[in-house]
Amino acid sequence: MCDHSKNIYKPHLATIEAIRDETPDIRSFRLVFQDEELRNSFSFRAGQFAEYSAFGYGESTFCIASSPTRKGYIECCFRAVGRVTDALRRLEVGDAIGVRGPYGNSFPIEQFEGKNLVFVAGGIALPPLRTLIWNCLDLRERFGEITIVYGARSEDDLVYKHELKEWEARPDVRLVKTVDPGGNGPAWDGRVGFVPTILEEAAPSAANTIALVCGPPIMIKFTLPVLEKLGFSDEQIYTTLENRMKCGLGKCGRCNVGNVYVCKDGPVFTAAQVKAMPQEF
Amino acid sequence: MPKTITEQNLNSLIDALVQDGTRVVGPKRAGTMTVYEPLSAGVELSLAEMPRRSAKEVFFPVCENILSFQRTEQGTTVTDVDVCTFPETVLVGARPCDAAAAPVLDAVFSWDYRDEFFLERRKKTTVIGVACTKCDDACFCTAVGLSPAETRGSDLFLTPLAGGGYVCQVVTDKGEALVDQHSQLFADTPSATPQPLAEPAAGQFDLKRIKAWLDNHFESPFWVGISERCAGCGACAFLCPACHCFDINDEGTEKEGHRRKHWDACAFGKFTNHASGHNPRDAQPERYRNRIMHKFKYYDDKFGQTLCTGCGRCIRACPVGIDIAAILDEIQKQ
Repeated sequence: MCDHSKNIYKPHLATIEAIRDETPDIRSFRLVFQDEELRNSFSFRAGQFAEYSAFGYGESTFCIASSPTRKGYIECCFRAVGRVTDALRRLEVGDAIGVRGPYGNSFPIEQFEGKNLVFVAGGIALPPLRTLIWNCLDLRERFGEITIVYGARSEDDLVYKHELKEWEARPDVRLVKTVDPGGNGPAWDGRVGFVPTILEEAAPSAANTIALVCGPPIMIKFTLPVLEKLGFSDEQIYTTLENRMKCGLGKCGRCNVGNVYVCKDGPVFTAAQVKAMPQEF
Repeated sequence: MPKTITEQNLNSLIDALVQDGTRVVGPKRAGTMTVYEPLSAGVELSLAEMPRRSAKEVFFPVCENILSFQRTEQGTTVTDVDVCTFPETVLVGARPCDAAAAPVLDAVFSWDYRDEFFLERRKKTTVIGVACTKCDDACFCTAVGLSPAETRGSDLFLTPLAGGGYVCQVVTDKGEALVDQHSQLFADTPSATPQPLAEPAAGQFDLKRIKAWLDNHFESPFWVGISERCAGCGACAFLCPACHCFDINDEGTEKEGHRRKHWDACAFGKFTNHASGHNPRDAQPERYRNRIMHKFKYYDDKFGQTLCTGCGRCIRACPVGIDIAAILDEIQKQ
């Protein structure tokens, strides 16, 4: 007898409910699962990712960018850089896309309760932290001070511009926004400089604090020594790795860093774990 | 009392299975090559030569549909591939190195998430392995702890007899069921002299010692030395009974098509290439290192097994003469 076991590669259908252009080439989707039961039951944890499909083109891997506290929909954010993401970009409100997930581990948010949080992000790497930022803001009383240091190449390249304004206006959030030298226009009211430099100047205290870092490899490389200088231990620093993934299920064999499968053992790691890995990411 | 089967009855068994509608796959001649292919009634099994490609395609096709999609005015629908329609299969004449690879692959396809495409085919396949009486200088099954008489992964195991025909060893219940269904084709023979088995020249590797070296030598000039000449053709991975890396792609149009799972290989430059253009394994030695590490360290770390059965196909096929057995030997001498 054959039991009709689940096809682990079959995506759920979701409808694009809203589209927001974050930058000239980065776009956000708000997605609602077509199956009503799934819409109500779908749950995930901040830090997990999914496989998103443009039917006829294939799948791409991005984090779930919305907060698990916000029910009834999920959000993703992507840059159009290839076959699948270009196809996703051509979709319109009301179109269907495929979603498989949630996959991978997540931020141990329970362990962050009672602590201060410092988020450090660069460019399109804000979405993987934004899920946790809103998760924490929606449970605000459980956390200490919240500092967000966010930078991009230019004003145009900052994502979630409307939310940056919102965070800036909140008395319970310290937002330090920056753009690379030359990326600022005449009306820019933030800092000018690379993220690691600006982080060092902002000098958040390491006492009872967790740092959460996500950005391009070069930003991570220069941010970790700054955190160290500020007194953060490797166990106090979390990051999320964005390796190329296809299955998301620990089978297709491409996302490993040494014997660590980013899709299963990650994508969230402490700096201590990252430093223990062979240097191939 | 051991059971035996004559060559003629083995062919009759194949014919009977084919007539019952069972898919029978076994080694047959195709031009100048021996390949595992679906057999029709009356086809001669060709057991003399090692088949060119491994038998993993029986469980893990080069390319297969995993779903189909359709977009109409009413919306998008996704249709599952019904694994229940996969045919009952008998893989006959499997080399021990090919049969032994399937249980190794069970681990990756069933841990945590179950890949039913692989596992359903495994469940529906009965494997009749055959002991090797011949080998060549690329064979090294004995070096990785297997042998020309290894029964792991076989349900029935045939050993050629000096006077023709085979001794048939029942390894599993599945194998027993097959013998029971076709008992008239098997005989009870009190004593029979098997043919001498093949004796691969490679000495036994100390896999623990090799792994211990790999544990501590991710960074080493050794990798450049052994694989700078690797052409990245991927032949080793595609011929290997244990390589399991794959890609997922869509074929068709926005309106309708299939999502397909197909073989991929860590030897290819694009395998780990990020959308940003950043590639964690940017050069061929880094990719070849991953091949060795995956087989003799990572798979062991994760599943306690070695991802190599010593079939030697990668050695025979490598266009630039990279010899994995020689590399392992070199590692254990470090």
